[in-house]
Amino acid sequence: MSENTDTTFAPPPPRTKNTLGARLTAIFENKYIGWPALGIALLMPFITASAYSLNVMTTALIFVVLAAGLNIVVGYCGLLDLGYIAFLAVGAYTAGILSKMFELPVLFTLPAVIVMTVLAGLLIGAPTLRLRSDYLAIVTLGFGEITRITANNLQLTGGPSGIFGIPSFLTIGELDLQQPVIFYYITVVMVAGLVLAAARLGKSRLGRAWRYVKEDEDAAEAMGIHTYKVKLLAYIFGAVWGGFAGILFASHLSAVSPQSFLFLQSALVLMAVVLGGMGNMKGVVIGALVISLLPELLRDFAEYRYLVFGVLLVVVMVFRPQGFWPARGYEPERKMTAVDAAVAEGRSR
Amino acid sequence: MKNTRRTTALLGMAAAVLLATTACSGGLLGGGDAEDGGEAASGPIKIGMVIPISGSSAPSGEYMQNGAQLAVNEINDAGGILDGRMLELLVEDEACDAQQGVASANKLVSSEVVVSVGGYCSGATLPQLPIFGGANIPMIIPAANSQDLVREGLDNVFLINGTGLQQSTAALDFITKSGYATVALVDDNTSYSTDITTETESQVTGDGTAEVVLNTSVNAGESDYSAVVRDITGSGAEIVYWTGYYQEGGLIIDQLRQAGYTGDIMVADGSADATLAEIAGDAAEGVFATMTPTPDTLEGAEEWIANYEAEFGATPGPYSTQAYDAVRLAAEAIETAGSTDGAEIITALEGISGFEMFSGPLEFTDEHTLSNGGFVILKMEGGKFILEDSLS
Amino acid sequence: MSQIIWDGLFVGSFYALIALGYSMVYGIIKLLNFAHGDLYMLGAFIGFAVIASFGGLATSLGLFALIVVMMLSMVITGTVGVVIERLAYRPLRGAPRLAVLITAVGASFTLEYGIAAIAGPNPRGFPIRLTGDVFVVLGARVTLPQIVLMIIAGLLMIALDTYIRRTSTGRAMRAISLDMKGALLMGVNVNAVISRTFFIGSALAGAAGVMAGAYYGKIDFLMGFIIGLKAFTAAVIGGIGNIRGAMLGGLVLGLIEAFGSELVGGQWRDAFAFAVLILFLTLRPTGILGERVTERV
Repeated sequence: MSENTDTTFAPPPPRTKNTLGARLTAIFENKYIGWPALGIALLMPFITASAYSLNVMTTALIFVVLAAGLNIVVGYCGLLDLGYIAFLAVGAYTAGILSKMFELPVLFTLPAVIVMTVLAGLLIGAPTLRLRSDYLAIVTLGFGEITRITANNLQLTGGPSGIFGIPSFLTIGELDLQQPVIFYYITVVMVAGLVLAAARLGKSRLGRAWRYVKEDEDAAEAMGIHTYKVKLLAYIFGAVWGGFAGILFASHLSAVSPQSFLFLQSALVLMAVVLGGMGNMKGVVIGALVISLLPELLRDFAEYRYLVFGVLLVVVMVFRPQGFWPARGYEPERKMTAVDAAVAEGRSR
Repeated sequence: MKNTRRTTALLGMAAAVLLATTACSGGLLGGGDAEDGGEAASGPIKIGMVIPISGSSAPSGEYMQNGAQLAVNEINDAGGILDGRMLELLVEDEACDAQQGVASANKLVSSEVVVSVGGYCSGATLPQLPIFGGANIPMIIPAANSQDLVREGLDNVFLINGTGLQQSTAALDFITKSGYATVALVDDNTSYSTDITTETESQVTGDGTAEVVLNTSVNAGESDYSAVVRDITGSGAEIVYWTGYYQEGGLIIDQLRQAGYTGDIMVADGSADATLAEIAGDAAEGVFATMTPTPDTLEGAEEWIANYEAEFGATPGPYSTQAYDAVRLAAEAIETAGSTDGAEIITALEGISGFEMFSGPLEFTDEHTLSNGGFVILKMEGGKFILEDSLS
Repeated sequence: MSQIIWDGLFVGSFYALIALGYSMVYGIIKLLNFAHGDLYMLGAFIGFAVIASFGGLATSLGLFALIVVMMLSMVITGTVGVVIERLAYRPLRGAPRLAVLITAVGASFTLEYGIAAIAGPNPRGFPIRLTGDVFVVLGARVTLPQIVLMIIAGLLMIALDTYIRRTSTGRAMRAISLDMKGALLMGVNVNAVISRTFFIGSALAGAAGVMAGAYYGKIDFLMGFIIGLKAFTAAVIGGIGNIRGAMLGGLVLGLIEAFGSELVGGQWRDAFAFAVLILFLTLRPTGILGERVTERV
């Protein structure tokens, strides 16, 4: 077997220096870092509330959900899914078709979306998860393309025009929650919840199983972990997150068309996860924000956008594969016990 | 640990308060959406345009932008409108993608444009309709012409390119005039393209003189179309109508001729591009096209072409004249309405009758489409499209 | 019917040429070079650039010029393949599979959008066009260009097969694919052999690109994407890692697609090809001639 020199899960080095770098690391590694981030997100509309910036920020947040979902599949469990956008498609189309057909607010399609995405996860996962990672990648790409082509060809999904005129997210009496500002806040709350849930999943027992499978699948199997089931669960959770993103996507754009589900979009989500730091939810969020906001900020360089992303991907994987913000071990620091003290003392003699 | 927690919390709060107070004016607590506090009663009138600047449709976007800019320059040189206010053209990229189109539309709305004169890819333009509609900004769409745009039935939307319906009527006219008995229809499974084949099929069947023997789709982006070529040759159709874009059209035409197809070939306006001849080679000779007149096929457009070339140093291409007319129409409507209020401009547009455009004197139907689609039949000769039949 | 078979075989020969490169690289370093299809595209564009720089001289010499251009393009594309291996894959030789795959995706994007930035996103017409007589063989229309191209493809494949079987480099390739460390210990210059493998595989893809450009007449920067996936499917069908399997798989896939398009219609063609891939991987992962794909300890 080829050597596995992957050291991304070494426990954090103990803080021995009081330098600025060490202090910054401690701050950013602090488990409460999420609250200031949430605070900033909640306060953004007070800085700029034009239709354009609200639109861009909402789109960026939806992309964050996608990246979080893919992080479960790729980052936690090590399954390279190149067709992840298919789950967004399933979620968005389900929400769009049902809400338009039955004239429901999009929020009410949530149960159906969850069911459909779980089914999609099962359907795509079942045949592919027995394959090696290389084949898994191509086959998931194939499934992504099949989903897009099917959406493009069927009458039910509106063919190439897609579904448009999707009703608003929810209307309470006179109040339309689809208004940019209100919808932005709803998105912030939902995204925060989803990111937190995904991170929690990563720290749970299932999350540990995922990491074990990622590290060494055969050893995990030997230790009694039902790897097939564990991998399938990773897929399904990833799919459900894609479904949530799909609901937000459908209401945000009020139109769903097959052109939004090209392989290119799958690759962009993958880039967000890889560049941000596979397996580290915080890094992935930042990666997602950068990938979705940078094109808007650099509109003049639109021609070179994807070229830069491609080169960046290669450079990052060669020089810093753990990404911008590496994942660290989750085992809590042990407190020094009497035994440890004795051992340490014994060593120093 | 406690120290770190406190520090984090303090830093977070400080950052948040700092952000909120320093940039207050643009946000919710500020003067609302407006960057400079409401419409100025003087100062430039902004006209917005969402067109493909990047991506494979970029050349068309450039033609449209230049055409529009030419009109803006002419109007400004003549003194502007509404007592000397200058026009300003704001251009944003749709890249033929729905999400980008939506973002760009929002950007223009935030920049307080008065009228939108963009719209090339129907797929990217459809989601923009509610955004401009919600801001009560009239849209004069010079290129995108899917029937879906019309079906939405929105008040603020005006189409000045012939619709899919009108294009198929032109196709039917030519088919019956030339006496073809059997017709094959091929599209590339995109919204714009299937629109035309669906309409053409129902019109041809309704008319009854000719028969549709094949109606099929192909995948865009491939090289090998032997399957559809077999279908066409096997169907015995006397004429094939391809409604997709030139990239695939060129390949299909070449492969049809290689396979020995002797019938005639007609393409829709998405394929009426000089590159078609580049790709199809000699096979493109004699190919017909339903198209709204391009600058080089219009009578009396020589001076306009010369102006365009002098201004931009390039030859004008498809949709440059429509974009030019769109801006002129917008200016006319604003002048007639006497204000930059959206609702009043819409009323003015509805009332316009006989305004001279390249496609003829303008009159809007109840559905806000052209009463005369303006489609003509072109024919490829020597690698260029020339006017074959003006169908009037 | 015979027309369908001929059309399928013709397209299949392109798939086979590209699948060869995929299979070779996979056989030797167990990497699915995601950027391989884009080397096909690169070959076509290099051919385009070479012909454009010679202008009218090239166009007038027809087939002869095409062969010269093809050779030139093969050399350049092969070199680019070696460069990519050196920069992107060799540093990651001991790394987890995930990392290498992601790098390959990055390399693919770089090639695609790099060409788009240089040559523009619009498709171009290929300057040299092949025209020729038509024969009717067993009820199928067969054109001279098609025959010529299939002969060229066949010759290239035979040359490759001979190379693998007869030369020492070929033996070294087979040795490395069996056991890289063992081959290293036996004195094989592993790095050099791997570079040579990439060179040959990429050159073949480049040749296919030039031929496709000349035959179909259109090149664009995304033409490599879908054909790369089809070539992978072909390699899997034939048995990945197996050279003869790749050739067989290409032809078989071409036939399956041709018959499939008759059945399900043009717009489902790609979906059909992917479904075939998934079916093969699920039901017969070894392919027709090949090795096991699912890993067991």
